[in-house]
Amino acid sequence: MKDDKFTVSFTLNGKPCSVDLKGNERLIDVLRDSLDLKSVKEGCGAGDCGLCMVLVDDKPVHSCLMMAGQIRGKAVTTVEGIGDNRTLHPIQKAFLETGAVQCGYCNPAVILAAKSLLDSNPRPSRAEIRRALSPVLCRCGSYVRFEESVLVASGEKS
Amino acid sequence: MESVQIQQASKKDFDVVGKKVVRAGAVLAVLGKPSYTADIATGDLVYVKAVRSSCVHATIESIDTSRAKLLPGVLAILTSKDIPGVNDAGSILSDRPLLAEKVVRHYGEAVAIVVAETHQAAEEAAMLMDIAYTPLPSVTNPNDALKPDAPLVQERSNLVKHMKIRKGDVERGFSQSDLVVENTFKTEFVDGLPLETEAAYSYLEPSGRIACVCSMQNPFDVYGKVVKILGFEKAKLRMIQATTGGGFGPKSDETPIDVAAYACLATLKTGKPALAQFTRDEAMIIQCKRHPFIIKNRTGVTNDGRLLAWQSELIADTGAYVSKGHLVLGRAVFHCTGPYEVPNVKADGYCVLTNNTIAGSTRGFGSPQVHFAAEVQMDLIAERLEMDPVVFRAKNILRPGTRTLTNQRIEDPGLDMCFRKAVALSDWYHKRKQYEQHNKGTSRLKKGIGIALLYHGNTLGPESGDFATVHIAITPDGKALVETGLTDFGTGGMTSLLMVAAEVLGLPYEDVRMSRPDTGRVSDSGPTVASRVTVIGGRATFEAAEIIKNRLSRVAAERLACSESSLIFRAGNVYSNDKPERRITFRDLVVEAADRNVELKSVGYYLAPTTNWDEETGQGSPYNQYTFGAVVADVEVDTETGFIRVGQLTPVYDAGKVINPLGLLAVCEGGSIMGTGYGIMEKIVTSEGVIMNPNLHTYWIPTILDCPEIINSSTVESAGQIGIFGAKSIGEIPIVLPAAAIANAISWATGVKIREIPMTPDKILAAIMNVK
Repeated sequence: MKDDKFTVSFTLNGKPCSVDLKGNERLIDVLRDSLDLKSVKEGCGAGDCGLCMVLVDDKPVHSCLMMAGQIRGKAVTTVEGIGDNRTLHPIQKAFLETGAVQCGYCNPAVILAAKSLLDSNPRPSRAEIRRALSPVLCRCGSYVRFEESVLVASGEKS
Repeated sequence: MESVQIQQASKKDFDVVGKKVVRAGAVLAVLGKPSYTADIATGDLVYVKAVRSSCVHATIESIDTSRAKLLPGVLAILTSKDIPGVNDAGSILSDRPLLAEKVVRHYGEAVAIVVAETHQAAEEAAMLMDIAYTPLPSVTNPNDALKPDAPLVQERSNLVKHMKIRKGDVERGFSQSDLVVENTFKTEFVDGLPLETEAAYSYLEPSGRIACVCSMQNPFDVYGKVVKILGFEKAKLRMIQATTGGGFGPKSDETPIDVAAYACLATLKTGKPALAQFTRDEAMIIQCKRHPFIIKNRTGVTNDGRLLAWQSELIADTGAYVSKGHLVLGRAVFHCTGPYEVPNVKADGYCVLTNNTIAGSTRGFGSPQVHFAAEVQMDLIAERLEMDPVVFRAKNILRPGTRTLTNQRIEDPGLDMCFRKAVALSDWYHKRKQYEQHNKGTSRLKKGIGIALLYHGNTLGPESGDFATVHIAITPDGKALVETGLTDFGTGGMTSLLMVAAEVLGLPYEDVRMSRPDTGRVSDSGPTVASRVTVIGGRATFEAAEIIKNRLSRVAAERLACSESSLIFRAGNVYSNDKPERRITFRDLVVEAADRNVELKSVGYYLAPTTNWDEETGQGSPYNQYTFGAVVADVEVDTETGFIRVGQLTPVYDAGKVINPLGLLAVCEGGSIMGTGYGIMEKIVTSEGVIMNPNLHTYWIPTILDCPEIINSSTVESAGQIGIFGAKSIGEIPIVLPAAAIANAISWATGVKIREIPMTPDKILAAIMNVK
């Protein structure tokens, strides 16, 4: 069975990375289980909730709907790659300032969706923010706080 | 006496309380650090999967495990016979087995569990289980369940509880009324739907004790049940709350007990660490739902708009096991007239067993259903009286000196304050005129504005012993560690407790930390339900912090040569009010106290006054204090599609003294959005007891695009009698009113009568066609 494995190389949070795959693994499982990136959450496994959002070549992707084999040569970003205790990403900082964190479970996905938006559109309108964040569900209903956070991070609001 | 002390305390200027702070645990959340149950499950894990009933009501004839056992990776299959202790997983009443014995009573009830080396093997083995059932007659309509010849769901009457209110003489009230209005309202099963599904991770400690990490609201409730299921002595189990990705009620009821027991049984059987986590469909089938209610309201009024009589009949479907159904019914009945003074009230509430999915705690706990029915009823009456709904409500609201339906005297002006502020902020009278003009000029997009009011009895009241325990320890670095079995699952309650501790000890907020709730470290703190952490837990935190402050004061007074009463604890310093130059840092004071062997650990305990009411008449004072609120909804109705756009919500709450303003804002906005979903989107669809939409593509919860464009949330502060510094409950409450406010706005805009939620486009469109 060992022969069935193949190696996939890609960029993970800015660093080169390679994993051995059988071929039937979902991206979320490789990220969580093989690469220990626990910020990626599974909320439904069907592409409905958006909690497993990661960035692939800077675009938001549901990692429960992407096969790990598809990431060959691409760049994958998770929340672990955008900030740490010492240097929070401006969106992470804005989350803390505006009180956007409630249960926190959806936060990594929302932060990535917001980062992707701001990277391509540094001064988004409220409508653009809502459209960009719409794939991610938040049952605590922090949506207004998320919107405020993106506005703060974009410098539109302080 | 205590409340006097607290009231006085509320008059001083606060250093931490009422200020904006970063929520406890928020940095971990934004960094995506592993802290939820499945994130921290490590080691040579085994996985547990339940085998669930495909029948709604049936006897179990046989369970054949032979095919499942043969699957590679399967380690064990357990049925009710393999439970070492007691097969009882009911969160309050012992009516619900962990694994069904002879009978299954609802779709998806667990019959066995499979333990396997991989998640896939456990799932596949569960599908290879051969269970033979003989169907039994079932009942899935609560009205049918109350009939004398109805099939019995359990070996008891299907009627679990009959709650009564008898105030004045309702018949005389009706006969004196100029107008009597009667309507029947209906609400549906909905799912609280925390986005993290139920999960538990257990492992053997070197001592032989099992530790179980679980996503839950009530570690002590789960611990108490699981220890009995395992047949353990108390010391052989320890229950720890992991960071919990949403609670909303379901995680205070049955399902956390299930996953914790599954994992612990697997660890006991295999000696290995175990992970049990629900899939989304499993969670949506099994976790306790919000009770569907059928509510008949009959109301008598005078021509000038005074309420004279109110009669309610409430039927709540609690599904196959009681869970918290009897208590949900109680809260519903105690609020069934809405926040109005009515001299004559008769109410009869029935909690009924059926073979439907179990209903239990869900944010609001019976209050959203009855407030929907009462507040829509109020608008339907106002319309008949040709009176503005605001004017009509103003004649009847609970003001100081009035009495509730239980004859409890209200001393608090909170409702009037909320009502006035919501009317002003929403620009009510101007908007009514403006939208009336707009609607005359358009046939398709109609605009409406509606209002609804609430009162919400605080904390447990009649539901059980309303106590909390909080431990505080001062560490040698001069910081405080707050430990309790009360939990946070997104509510912000723990942040409030840290703020109270910081306030009393005069420490910067950053110097107060919390630990994970752990039954092995703290004493029973009561359940985290009924929006009670800040209000009740805050009192226990205050007690614990005062004990330490008093001990430190003795040391400081000696050291600074001043009286204890002159000491001020503030911003990490302790000084004499008379001679402020005499000061010592909190940290140095702690070092000195430690040198003198002063105990710097304390336990604070608070028990709320017992509430009293009469079982037969429902008369008395079931709650110690009430939160009040008003919500105005601005909506646009597309009369060609039936689609509702909620443009603005204006929620105003009287949360008493606001402890954590940023947390309160998030809860008010979030509850408003969840309440909007309850009003216009959400419904668990069942067919003869089978759940048809256990997934997020056919059961819709609000996305950011469904969120009202503006939520203009605000508060008024009318101090509560028992809450810390005059605080009142808020956590659950913002979900209660949006449905009613939106319904009233739609009715006013279009002329349709709404008596059922959710107000989905198909229903709105059909109603509009009827009006035409």
